[in-house]
Amino acid sequence: MSLDNLTSNWSKLRVKRPQPDQYKDAPYKWGMVIDLDACTGCNACTAACYAENNLPVVGKHRFLKGQAMHWLRIERYWGEGTESTQEFPERGAQFLPMMCQQCEAAPCEIVCPVGATHHTPDGLNSQVYNRCIGSRYCSANCPYKVRYFNWFNYPESAWPSPLEQQLNPDVTVRSKGVMEKCTFCVQRLTEAKDRARTEKRTVRDGEVLTACAQACPTSAIHFGNMADSSSAVARMWKAQQVELSADRQAKDDQREIDEQQGKTDGVLRGYRVLEQLRTYPSVVYLERIRSSEV
Amino acid sequence: MSDTFEEKEVAVELRFQPKPKDIDEDIAWAQINGDVLRSLERPRPLYWVIFFGSLALFLWGVYCEIYQYNTGLGVADLENPQVWGLYIATFIFWIGMSHSGTLLSAILHIMHADWRKPIYRFAEAMTTFSLMTAGLFVLVHLGRVWQFYYVVAYPNERWTWPNFSSPLVWDATAIGSYLTTSVIFLYFGMIPDLAICRDNATGFRRTFYRALSIGWRGTDRQWSNFRVTYLTIACLLIPLAVSVHSIVATDFAVSQQPGWHTTSFPPYFVAGALYSGCAAIITLFIILRYTFRFEQYMTIPILEKLCKLTFAISMVWTYLNFIEYAAVWYGTDEFAKQSLIYRATGDYAWWWWSMNILGSVVPFSLTLKRLRTNIPVMLVVSILLNLGMWIERFMIVTPTFAHGYYPWTWTQGWWPDWVQVGIVLGSFGWFNMLFMLFCKIFPSVSMYEVKEMVYHRRLPRKNLKPLPAEG
Amino acid sequence: MSGSGISRRDFMQIVGLGGASAALAGCGNTSIESGAELVESYVQPENFVVPGVGVYYASTCTQCPSACGIMGRVREGRILKLEGNPNSAISGGKICGLGQAAVQRHYSPDRLTVPMIRKSGELKQSSWEEAMTLLTNAVAPADKAGRRVILTGPASGHEQVLLRALVEAGAATDHVVFDALSTAVAASVNRRMFGVDDPVTMIDRAGVVLSFGDDFLGAGESPVAAARQYARFRRGARRGVLVQVEPRMTLTGANADRWIVIVPGTEGVFALGLARELLQRKEAAGSVSPALAAVIEPYTQAEVSRITGVRGDHIPRIASLLWEHSPTLVLAGRYPQGHAHGSQNMAAIGMLNVILQNHGKTVMRAAELPFPQLAPTAGSFKALRDLNEAMAAGQCRSILMHGSNPVYSAPAFMGFADNLQKVPFKAAWVTELDETAMQCDLVLPLLSSLEDFGTHVASNQSDGTEISIQQPLMEKLYPQTRAFGDVVLDLLRKVKPDSYKSFPDYYAYLKSAVINAKPAYDPAAGDEEFWENALSAGVLHREASLQPLPGMQASPEMIHQPEPAGDDLQYPFRLIPAVTPNMRDGRPASLPWLQESPDPLTTVVWDSWAELHPSTARAMQIREGDVLILASAHGSVRAKAYLFPGIHPGAVGVPIGQGHESYGRFASNVGVNVLKILDPIFDRDTGELALYSTRVSIAKTGQNERITKDEGPTTLQQDRKLVATLAADQVDLTKETPFVIR
Repeated sequence: MSLDNLTSNWSKLRVKRPQPDQYKDAPYKWGMVIDLDACTGCNACTAACYAENNLPVVGKHRFLKGQAMHWLRIERYWGEGTESTQEFPERGAQFLPMMCQQCEAAPCEIVCPVGATHHTPDGLNSQVYNRCIGSRYCSANCPYKVRYFNWFNYPESAWPSPLEQQLNPDVTVRSKGVMEKCTFCVQRLTEAKDRARTEKRTVRDGEVLTACAQACPTSAIHFGNMADSSSAVARMWKAQQVELSADRQAKDDQREIDEQQGKTDGVLRGYRVLEQLRTYPSVVYLERIRSSEV
Repeated sequence: MSDTFEEKEVAVELRFQPKPKDIDEDIAWAQINGDVLRSLERPRPLYWVIFFGSLALFLWGVYCEIYQYNTGLGVADLENPQVWGLYIATFIFWIGMSHSGTLLSAILHIMHADWRKPIYRFAEAMTTFSLMTAGLFVLVHLGRVWQFYYVVAYPNERWTWPNFSSPLVWDATAIGSYLTTSVIFLYFGMIPDLAICRDNATGFRRTFYRALSIGWRGTDRQWSNFRVTYLTIACLLIPLAVSVHSIVATDFAVSQQPGWHTTSFPPYFVAGALYSGCAAIITLFIILRYTFRFEQYMTIPILEKLCKLTFAISMVWTYLNFIEYAAVWYGTDEFAKQSLIYRATGDYAWWWWSMNILGSVVPFSLTLKRLRTNIPVMLVVSILLNLGMWIERFMIVTPTFAHGYYPWTWTQGWWPDWVQVGIVLGSFGWFNMLFMLFCKIFPSVSMYEVKEMVYHRRLPRKNLKPLPAEG
Repeated sequence: MSGSGISRRDFMQIVGLGGASAALAGCGNTSIESGAELVESYVQPENFVVPGVGVYYASTCTQCPSACGIMGRVREGRILKLEGNPNSAISGGKICGLGQAAVQRHYSPDRLTVPMIRKSGELKQSSWEEAMTLLTNAVAPADKAGRRVILTGPASGHEQVLLRALVEAGAATDHVVFDALSTAVAASVNRRMFGVDDPVTMIDRAGVVLSFGDDFLGAGESPVAAARQYARFRRGARRGVLVQVEPRMTLTGANADRWIVIVPGTEGVFALGLARELLQRKEAAGSVSPALAAVIEPYTQAEVSRITGVRGDHIPRIASLLWEHSPTLVLAGRYPQGHAHGSQNMAAIGMLNVILQNHGKTVMRAAELPFPQLAPTAGSFKALRDLNEAMAAGQCRSILMHGSNPVYSAPAFMGFADNLQKVPFKAAWVTELDETAMQCDLVLPLLSSLEDFGTHVASNQSDGTEISIQQPLMEKLYPQTRAFGDVVLDLLRKVKPDSYKSFPDYYAYLKSAVINAKPAYDPAAGDEEFWENALSAGVLHREASLQPLPGMQASPEMIHQPEPAGDDLQYPFRLIPAVTPNMRDGRPASLPWLQESPDPLTTVVWDSWAELHPSTARAMQIREGDVLILASAHGSVRAKAYLFPGIHPGAVGVPIGQGHESYGRFASNVGVNVLKILDPIFDRDTGELALYSTRVSIAKTGQNERITKDEGPTTLQQDRKLVATLAADQVDLTKETPFVIR
């Protein structure tokens, strides 16, 4: 056992809030932008995620018990407040694709007793299945509740032969007792990084996509490397003036001031969900738009 | 001659009013030995009822656990987001119960409260077995039980350490050290009594007690060493006890979930622990008193003092409970406030109100002398208080999951199923079974301490000066 | 990324990975040493195949008639996952949930693997020799009387050519094309008004889309292509505005800027009211004849409001919006068609595009296909009705069915299953034993769509013309399954021995046909080269310009709206059998990913439900989960109540597609089949089934069961900023980084 190993890595282990320009010199920091105005709620992304990541179909009985395994879920809301104000949803439904936000100051990483979840150098929240002993503290501490626990031994029942032939060999098939969650398709990222490293370059923008981003028919999900300032996602974050390491964006303060003064236009759409909890998520959502002309 | 005749009579009558029967100050040492040793042989039939009943419950719990181990935690009806159920709630409950022993054996020892002497032994045993039961729950609750040792910093080829920022690792450390120290403390404090057992036993039992009493002869030097060691361990145990339940509290306080993220949780939990521990001591006091015929030793005045102590602690707990609500109510954290309102008015409202009534109102029965000297009433009250405390733990864990930050994942009233209840009942069975076994093998009343207590009470009456070597 | 095609002959040995054991090793559950796995390597791989690295092959998805180009990730000789084919003008590299789930149909544990023949009342496993004997007898030319029918779903490409050839060769007397979700009313109206069945609509060129129940994003004609257009529609120089008018919210309606609920069947009245408003402007002068204008005139705002229940002021607002954001697009989906006056509804709505001068801008005629015989044939319900009558009269001698499950889809009043029993010989080609197959005398095991060759042509192509190629993504799993095309060729050769004898199988036929198409696409290429390129690209694409539509031909009777029917006291509610994106006509019900995929609007899984507006439920004291009996005059179903704000208060919605009695383990005994209880109401002009005219009564059973759904007890955001919404004038989209729309 190496005390060196513990002390030298302690600063990485001891998660604090992210620093500005933390990823300035890093080759990769994976991030996402999801345009809620383009998201139609069609659920193509969730089906793609099931296919890519070997998610088990749990069946009606277990779904009813709340034991579903959808890493990416499409939430559908009818209103923003605590009471429904309209008889009919005249502005449509509010869809939100929610998956692991790969928080920079992830509440789950701190509390895992065995260190099965931590932050990788390329900005992902990793889940190490073979280290997990299933204490579920990470899920308890997650504000978004995007972590899913294997309540049963799904390999026994979820893939009656020959359905198991479809399983993606690049992704572990999890047994009972371990926690899992969206990994930003880390298997694809690893493959892309390996290929790029062989060719002595970094991964190009658009070269690798998560399964959900690839499937989305309206291209509502944008995925890319935020450490590459020319990537689409990095430019979008910048255009929306959302900073990874801020828990409250300057533009939101400005918007409050503007609204008090009666100025309501020129709003930037980007925001992060439950940002005030200081989780520093890596996913920016763009507010949906509804025309006021009709 | 200024007093009238009636007044004198009244005064005399008042002076000679019989007090509740306390231990006979003239009791012989041999009598004490005999009474306690006899408890190891022929308890009342209630003992067997309790023992076999607990064994049955324990076996049922084992069956539930085997089913859960083989099939997966899903059979416990746990779900996203209700990922912790009765297992964590009961885990906290058992850790809480464990504080009683330390309170009685260590804290009151340092405060020279001699009324604790007949009862601290079984309280300390209760501590040890509660901790063992709590440890069981840690295992039961894990998804991959067979790899629980990852939490311990053991040498491994990957040089992997556990995550020291995690309160669960602090738990493991704290509970491990507390359990170890409690076992040592319990054993150590029993050595003089084990020597008495050895001297009075024959055959296999003599060998057993001789091995355990490690050559105790009761010399002055041994007694002197004994006292110092006992005091040292007691002083070590007290901060350990406080730290253990504070650390268990940080499981919740350190997380940022609404309803948990409160700085008052550590003292609140410790107060709750002492509370439920004292209530459990009252329950066991009444049971042991009857089962082992300890009426002479576990006397009503001791019960009364226990009740007063419990009441005091219940008021501390009530205060801390109230402070938690007030801090949330008058604070700015909207999520925490919604969580509190949900607890009071949502799916678990009945339970929340029961907890508050059982925990804050029922203890007032302990202020009435007529009630607190009434054994059946105290049995019921102590069980109700513990029920209230168990509900408190349940109410800490479950509503936060049911109604947290994220409305999409709110649940519509989640309730545990037969597997969880079975394992919880099994834990009670396990605890009682171990406890009853303990009482049958080891003296559950500390003979030497009772002798000390009697001696010190006799002292002023007989005008004996204490011998210089004792004290 | 995409390799060249693999011909059947060159296909490698199938590689099997016994169980998931290899992938489980990561969890320490099994070990290679335990001998629990069988990993076979290629005997002789292609030189571009590296074990461990996936190769992508192009193909076409056939889960719905959209004919999206897909590509499949193949590793060690087995198909793992499907993605969209970036070369396809339809899918553009995207794919929907049904497409993803095609692998589950391919690997279904309930696949039919051998032919089955009914012997002494039961289906028993048999051989192809026996099967072909029976089939040959069934197609033998008329020495006996009786129609020999071949019934299929909508088809296109060379499969359709062969089906037509079967009829021409005399192997069949009729080719009946049945579509449970037919849009034949729309086709008929378009044909009469504009001369084409299926004009091309371009959402991305419109400034406003006014959709009368057209669920183009969800369960419409081509959801992926439409979604891609929709993305550009929203991101144009000026963000497009979507207005949806329908009695029950569809996925598209959920994305509308304004969703307007309307009394079912009164869409035509609303359209006429809107037309009246639009005609007030001088731009619209002369767009309709005076006869039509006379029909339109009585529909004032008040009148329209009375009939449709829509607030009066919507109409002038929508009208001015439409004029401001020209060009616009008016679409009509299934809701307006599903009534006895469906054709009138559609005509009234179609007229709006003419008034708004959208023709030539967002509504055009499809470009000429270089090979018109490959063009898609739409199915209809009328075809099934006629067939049903013929079967009832004992006129049919044999019926062969492919790509259709009429026993499931036909409403109970037709007695289709009983009439089918009157046909002496019934055969079906299926991948899983569905209800129709269970009634047949001969059931033939099909190749899955991932094992077969084919060509497909989509309708509504706005970007040139494209023929989408389908090729096997792996060797067939079961040796006794055969391609439909192979069997059809065999039958053709039996009837006309000299024809098609140069094609040993469907693959050879297709290859030859594709190579013959070379002059239209790449005349300079060599034959083999052209074929390989076609397989590699997955599509044969030709630039072509859309053509203008002829002028409108409409008579006043076509747009005349009947007086709406009064209330029916016995059956007070209008039944809306909802077409959901996951279940469509019921074919996807055997796919577990789709059963577990929450319905986008209700989030219910693995079940049917009965949607009621919360005010209706409150009035009837119905809570969520209450088991209700919905009874029409022709049947009843039980469903759990679900409170849904997006439905007309006088209507109850039940999704189509569940309630299978046999269709594999994932579909059986899940939910209810609402198609069964439909009333025999038909569109007056076309005879199509009026899907949305059935009326039902609702009775409570007193039981309550929890609904299996993904949402929690609240459907509101509870003041948390989860999905925030901005008004369009608050945002300047041009300031945002240009979006990557792939």
